[in-house]
Amino acid sequence: MGDYAPVDLTAAEQVEFELNGRRVSAPPGTMLVDAAHAHGVRVPVFCYEPRLGPPLGACRMCLVEVEGMRGLQTACSTPVQPDMVVRTDSPLAKDGQDGVLELLLANHPLDCPVCDKGGECPLQDHTFEFGPGRTRFIEPKRHFPKPLDLSSLITLDRERCIACFRCVRFSQGVSEDGALVMEDRGAGSEIATFTGDAYEGRFTGNVIDICPVGALTSIPYRFVARPWDVQNAPSVCGHCPVGCNVELTAREGEVRRVTGRPDPNWEVEEGWLCDKGRFAYPGDRAPGRLREPLIRESRDRARVTTLEEAVDAAALVLGRGGRVGVVVGPEATVEEGFIAQELAAGPLGGAPVQRLGIPGEALAALRALPGAQLGDLDGAGLVLVVGGDPPNQQPVVELRVRKARRLGARVACVGARPHALEALGEHRRAVPGGLAAALADLELPEVESAVVLWDEADLAAEPDAAAALARLAAERGMRQLELGADVNGAGLRALGMPARGVLEAAQAGEIDVLLTVHADPTEGPGGAEWGWALGRVRQTVAIATHASPLADGATVLLPAATHREQEGVYVSMAGRAQRLRAAVPGPPGSAPGWELLLAVMHRLGAPPAYRTAAQTFAAAAAARPALAGLSHDALGALGRPVATPAPPSPNGAPAPREPAGTGLPLVVTRMIFGDAASHRSDALAAVRTGAELVLHPAEAARRGLAEGERVRLRSPSGECALALRCDPAHAEGVAYAAAGPPASGVERLLPPDRGPVRVELAAER
Amino acid sequence: MTADEIRAHIDPIRDRFAEERSLVLPALKFAQTEKGWLSGDDIAAVAEAVNLTTAYVESVASFYDRLYLRPTGTRVVSVCVTLSCMLRGSDELMAALCEAEGLGPHGGTAEDGAVTIQEAQCLGYCDRAPCVQVDAEETRGPLSPDDAASLLEELRAAPRPERLWR
Amino acid sequence: MPIANVVYRHREAGAPLTDAGAYERAGGWAGLKRALAEMQPDEVLYAFHRSGLRGRGGAGFPMGRKASFIPKDSALPAYVVCNADESEPGTFKDREIMEMNPFQLLEGILLAGYAVGAARGYIYIRGEYEHQARVLDAALAQAREGGFLGRGILGSSFDFDITLYRGAGAYICGEETGLLESLEGKRGQPRLKPPFPAVAGLYGAPTLINNVETLTSLPPIVDRGPDWYASMGTEKSTGTKVFSISGHVLRPGNYEIVLHETTLRELVYDHAGGFRPGRDFKAAWVGGSSVNVVGPEALDTPLDYESLAAAGTSLGSAGCIVMDDSGSMVHATLRLAHFYRHESCGKCTPCREGTLWLERILRRIADGEGRMEDLDLIDQVAGRIGGRVLCALADTGILPVVSAIHRFRDEFVAAIEEGGAPRPEPMMEVAAHG
Repeated sequence: MGDYAPVDLTAAEQVEFELNGRRVSAPPGTMLVDAAHAHGVRVPVFCYEPRLGPPLGACRMCLVEVEGMRGLQTACSTPVQPDMVVRTDSPLAKDGQDGVLELLLANHPLDCPVCDKGGECPLQDHTFEFGPGRTRFIEPKRHFPKPLDLSSLITLDRERCIACFRCVRFSQGVSEDGALVMEDRGAGSEIATFTGDAYEGRFTGNVIDICPVGALTSIPYRFVARPWDVQNAPSVCGHCPVGCNVELTAREGEVRRVTGRPDPNWEVEEGWLCDKGRFAYPGDRAPGRLREPLIRESRDRARVTTLEEAVDAAALVLGRGGRVGVVVGPEATVEEGFIAQELAAGPLGGAPVQRLGIPGEALAALRALPGAQLGDLDGAGLVLVVGGDPPNQQPVVELRVRKARRLGARVACVGARPHALEALGEHRRAVPGGLAAALADLELPEVESAVVLWDEADLAAEPDAAAALARLAAERGMRQLELGADVNGAGLRALGMPARGVLEAAQAGEIDVLLTVHADPTEGPGGAEWGWALGRVRQTVAIATHASPLADGATVLLPAATHREQEGVYVSMAGRAQRLRAAVPGPPGSAPGWELLLAVMHRLGAPPAYRTAAQTFAAAAAARPALAGLSHDALGALGRPVATPAPPSPNGAPAPREPAGTGLPLVVTRMIFGDAASHRSDALAAVRTGAELVLHPAEAARRGLAEGERVRLRSPSGECALALRCDPAHAEGVAYAAAGPPASGVERLLPPDRGPVRVELAAER
Repeated sequence: MTADEIRAHIDPIRDRFAEERSLVLPALKFAQTEKGWLSGDDIAAVAEAVNLTTAYVESVASFYDRLYLRPTGTRVVSVCVTLSCMLRGSDELMAALCEAEGLGPHGGTAEDGAVTIQEAQCLGYCDRAPCVQVDAEETRGPLSPDDAASLLEELRAAPRPERLWR
Repeated sequence: MPIANVVYRHREAGAPLTDAGAYERAGGWAGLKRALAEMQPDEVLYAFHRSGLRGRGGAGFPMGRKASFIPKDSALPAYVVCNADESEPGTFKDREIMEMNPFQLLEGILLAGYAVGAARGYIYIRGEYEHQARVLDAALAQAREGGFLGRGILGSSFDFDITLYRGAGAYICGEETGLLESLEGKRGQPRLKPPFPAVAGLYGAPTLINNVETLTSLPPIVDRGPDWYASMGTEKSTGTKVFSISGHVLRPGNYEIVLHETTLRELVYDHAGGFRPGRDFKAAWVGGSSVNVVGPEALDTPLDYESLAAAGTSLGSAGCIVMDDSGSMVHATLRLAHFYRHESCGKCTPCREGTLWLERILRRIADGEGRMEDLDLIDQVAGRIGGRVLCALADTGILPVVSAIHRFRDEFVAAIEEGGAPRPEPMMEVAAHG
């Protein structure tokens, strides 16, 4: 699990030294443990984890012999020196390694038969390769009460703990929550939280990945599988647009676990995951998962049928039902989006296709600037965060910004929402409409290598700020990294799919049949408008994974595979195209969306040349400049950036957008554990959050609203009722709504393009 | 103890340290002077006063022998049991003190909560062995087992001294 | 067997020197005055070096050389830290300095600061020395009042102030990087070296960290000259050293001797008054407990670094614990093993697990559940600790255990074969103080 740091053996400057009798080299400053690994010599480690900071030298597992130095040295903390003579396999080195393992095993409980880590356990593996076969320790072993649930997700077994400090260093120095610590001293040391508080946060599950023994294990995965029972697939998380690289663990046709990849993607997530991405997978099998194709015969009756029949019926509806409109949701893959476009353009005679997302005209200038990957934050001198709430909406970004700051970057934030990154540097609160002014007010240091993280939704809502930011970034040579709103928004944009068209046509009565792909527009921004518009649509074909109002009423329902169950490509918000892998098939009554769309095309008499997901992607790459040169093979395990779009023609200073409606400007945040995926996953039951309204206490007082009471919000687009919470960190004069699952109705308050809007508030009494 | 009280105590010395974190140990020692031990609320107050997480403060406090995270008696007697004192009768002194209070051989807190008796490691008074430390402040020795009863009586009679330090 | 009063100036004066005026009258501040008036920092540094003074905390590293490692061109401010965490069993020499001659310590810190270009000093004093801390508090206040601390000391351009920082009970905070961690507000767990504190110490800045006695030796070195200091002792063991002696001797206490000119026998029998009638010397841990234990064969060893090393032990902290023939090596060794296990910080595997294991084996032997193979096992476990740990706690903590097994093997064999080692009668007579 990212145990060793990568070593560039091709770098110009190399130090030559001798390793186990061989003459080898590594760049100056490389630690012996990494240099050895790069040359195929494994030096075992426990506490060493390059992502956790400088070496600790605590576990002593990596003891090696260096000629001329007394005793043994820890390879993790000894840099290569010219003509150093190193032996990792001398009798003394072996005795050192054997000794450390013997001492670790002295008090280690013989839990292997009941320990989840067995079979993928570094302690087992190192003991087998470097350690003793028998114990000489006849004393009673140290005991602690066990297991201790640290939270609903992680359980702690203190007896198994080998005090490698990895989890503590993660908590102190990566997520910086400071909640997991070592207590007491010496042989009685134990991992703990403050007086037994639960270890809760956004990134807690990472300690499960880095724990080298079975001390910290996943509660949802407890006793579920042995490593030899499972198949692992490298894929990409589909729960936010960051696109963290993950490993999916499947057993008997179900995804049972999601972890970081053993070889992390240093450009994206570095092997860390947020707890939502890690524990959302049970949602694939939750109630509400669509498993049976349905053909609706009347408003009250739908019959279950086979996929074959349902595809036939869908083709019939689409081919003969009249004018078609196609709506593609942000969880659709590039392949699904492309086939939808081909279907619409070809057999459906030029039907309009739109993605559910944010129209991007105002963002073209920003998107044309040189882009940064998350990995580029490491060397940045300045990280500017404009708008948004990354800790909630693109969680792993928080970890990379914290890392950048530890490496010396200055951090500055400007935006409407209070969030955890603001504490890392200076920040300005900007009410909606005030982003450009707040930006101008910020005094930014002149540094080399600055990166601006900008929120797609917030900048689209304030085109004047977007233009000002693009100018500022261009002037200072800043690279940009978009905090995207939607999982594969960038992928659908790369296909040239607009964010408008079908709603307008439906409103004008020009749509008879609606085809939706992973989309229910009635649940999101402008949901009510969509609902009225779709009242004039006669038939719907829905390709969907989970139940929703639209899917429930569809004429033909085709259950689709989720992103864990199909091949496909997502493009991350940083413009990185990455492959999804099908770890398991979906339920028997479902199929990957791209296969369903392809089948429909065949039924409509327009079979394309491509037949697999890879061929589909190749066709898309040939047809779309943004994807030029890419293929499934080329993307490999780590993905590749798509082409940066060309700069738009200059069009003067865009005007600010007037918010629709009256009342307070509305700011909507998608909370990390508030979304549909978190609500579907029973693993996240204890941490999921619901929707709420947040006001500054003075604002609430002005309106005679009390903490906890239910308040009705009304915008021109929709309405909903939320419980009120008061919090002085928020700005006065603004209504903040934390979105919950779709049924809470918060997103429906926004207009269809998620633009600026105001809400009227009224107590529900 | 409250965060404000702790801040009042450490504010005068803030400028002596390049990092605020250094204040945690003086803050903990000061907070402990109130009851002789540190409750969860005390830890939270220190955390607030020094801008650290409660878990971190608890982690630091738990490292040290003279910071008590569980309730102690009103007076605390720490008996040095390291080699020099052992050679001069520390074990016998410890046994006498524990017996007088009805405690097991490794000490504990008397039933009436007046006194806690515990072992300590070398207190640096080996020339006055066997020695004890009272209230983590005052070291006395040499003591013999015969002195146990009068020592306990004296400690029971007097409240914990108010002497504060910085 | 001459007694010297180089660091114990109060004994020369015949009274505690806790008043700044009294200290001055006793010849105090002369070193500082001379340095500020007549010497460049580099010259003062050279004096340290030329004196041959070795660290008096236990490591014995040449002090001048250590001070010379402080870089002159660092962007970060340099610090001087005084290690007053005296916790080595049997060692109480620094206690007396702080209680009776505190100003000489302050003067020594000032000289060290002047030499390395520091403006801030810290005294990290063990929490248990609360009384001595209060004496130091008062001395610091007086020193400030008298213009010996603060800005423009004694009218020079040298600024320096000292902060007293109290520990809270952890032997490992006497290890220099453990101390720095504790002073930084963390758990006192030692750091990897390199980097050494001289390069990256307190808050990552260049730090000179020295023992109380070491720093207290500096004023006479500067005042009377390094050659005077080096004229005492031997080439490798210059100057004077305070020996704390305790245990079964009749006059436990601190004795400042000229290195090499006193033997262990003289220390034990002449200074410390020897033993009770009918009792005689059995064993001693001469340098604190973290050294090889020695028997009567070592009595005629001169007390200096190289002679004690040649005798198979080491000078260490010079905290000499003496046991007469009423004592039990099994129980003494067990008690020391318990100490190291209790004080282990837990960070590195061999110390955390190894000290626990050694204590358990020794307890079984003492309680009558030992096996003959346990004696080899102790050697083997110790062999997996020595040279493989993060700091010196367990590296030297195994020395008393291994040496006891080897030099007093019969007692351990007897305990194994006879169902345990009987608890010895302690020496209960109250000590007379010399």
